Amino acid sequence: MDKFLAMGGYAVYVWPAYAAFFVVFAADLIATAARRRRVLKELRARIARQSARRSP
Amino acid sequence: MNVHSSPTLWNRLVLWYHQMGSPPYFYAFAGRWRPWFIAATLITAAIGLYGGLLLAPPDYQQGDAYRIIFIHVPCAWMSLFTYAFMAGCGLVGLVWRVKLAEILAMEAAPIGAAFTFVTLVTGSLWGKPMWGAWWTWDARLTSELVLLFLYLGVIGLYHAFEDTRQGARAAAFLALIGVVNLPIVHYSVVWWNTLHQGTTVQLFGPSRITWSMLWPLLTMALSTHLYLGWSLLGRARVALLELEGGKDWARAIALKEASRG
Amino acid sequence: MSAPSARTGYVTILRRDLLLAWRRRGEAAFPVLYALIVATLFPFALGPEGALLARIAAGVVLVTVLLAMLLALDGLFRPDVEDGSLEQLLLAPQPLGLLLAAKILAHWLTTALPLLLASPLLAAMLHLPVAVLPVLLVALALATPLMSLLGALVVALTVGTRRSGMLLALMLLPLMVPVVIFAAGAVSAAQQGLPFIAPLAWLGAALVLALVLAPAACAAALRIALDA
Repeated sequence: MDKFLAMGGYAVYVWPAYAAFFVVFAADLIATAARRRRVLKELRARIARQSARRSP
Repeated sequence: MNVHSSPTLWNRLVLWYHQMGSPPYFYAFAGRWRPWFIAATLITAAIGLYGGLLLAPPDYQQGDAYRIIFIHVPCAWMSLFTYAFMAGCGLVGLVWRVKLAEILAMEAAPIGAAFTFVTLVTGSLWGKPMWGAWWTWDARLTSELVLLFLYLGVIGLYHAFEDTRQGARAAAFLALIGVVNLPIVHYSVVWWNTLHQGTTVQLFGPSRITWSMLWPLLTMALSTHLYLGWSLLGRARVALLELEGGKDWARAIALKEASRG
Repeated sequence: MSAPSARTGYVTILRRDLLLAWRRRGEAAFPVLYALIVATLFPFALGPEGALLARIAAGVVLVTVLLAMLLALDGLFRPDVEDGSLEQLLLAPQPLGLLLAAKILAHWLTTALPLLLASPLLAAMLHLPVAVLPVLLVALALATPLMSLLGALVVALTVGTRRSGMLLALMLLPLMVPVVIFAAGAVSAAQQGLPFIAPLAWLGAALVLALVLAPAACAAALRIALDA
């Protein structure tokens, strides 16, 4: 296991590369999920406003 | 020819094309397919990374540092593939004014920028032990940097417009200009490199890559393609809700998602 | 009543833009002044040794001219959008590409030409060998119209947006990379005593291609950006 983590002495380069890979794509997915929540929330607020105006 | 001789298949294809152009239909379609893309991405990534990090032997010259190849090269391929996809969708959007094509083009741009960014970061981390420098003005890296600027320009132009669809059309046009420009940039950078006899150490020359290294690389390439599907379908769904917020189908979904919690 | 010919339209636009530029002729000095300031700063940053400056002179002049043109590029369509005359151009019966070509030519004459005339001064300030100066001037004479044409294409796309200088630079950079490489490559080849005709020929070929294609592409971009 230690040998695997050491990457033949290149751990300083290999693991940050893999970390960047995963962090960037995780950020992409999280940003999309957050945007989805925000859009749905705004949409529901809009519906609530419009129905409130229609039936005061 | 074959297609015309069997009108039912042709009709079905035309029908499918038109159905796909309809936002509620595509929304449901993307929702059905997305879980499969997620599963396939994760499985292929697990297999590819296991093969690349554990099974593949160290390189006789680069030791274990070469293992960055399993993410660097698939991302580099995907940065170009995503650009081609974006430009193709942009062309369809510009010529036939298909709303969905515009959305797919614009939602593909940030994913492509992410692939390009990862390519640059991993390339830099690979270059440091191999070239002794974080950055060299090698033709491939330089073209990749220009590609990142192209993506950022497309994204920036898209967001500079008040009107989303107008922004999408302008940005799609910019993406198409980039298609013409990118090969010119690449060949001019290659020429520039030969003019200034710099440090042109090839990361991988014509070396024969062994099968035990090749199959994890190809699996990771497949995985990144599937990831494009995963991310793109999710992004397109949100963008459709955003754009079609005034329509009944989007409202129905907003209310349904609320009741689900 | 028949519409005036395309040629008349072209000449009218060219004359109008030149007249407008002449009315505000003080502004034509701004890009030159900017280039002068940038070129002055380089020796302060790098030290006054002649050999070092001579080595980088051509590149500095090229990049400086490019940046100065970028600064002026925003003014290509902006006033016409604000006073509504661009909408008139879009509706004109003459081919839009041709009218835009006239505007681009007028813009090149009023912004790039002064820079071109000032470039020997910039080159002298940076100790560029006199023998190389003609090559630099030819390279600039080929590169600046290319920059104007490609710049117009990009500016046309941003016409419908809020003021955005940074975005313009970001969009223009990928298009400028080959132009800068070939123009600077020609001068540095000449400086090293190597043949320099090939990069100049490539620039010329690109210019001819851009002269034919860019105005039409610019027209298409303008129609998209204004949703006409």
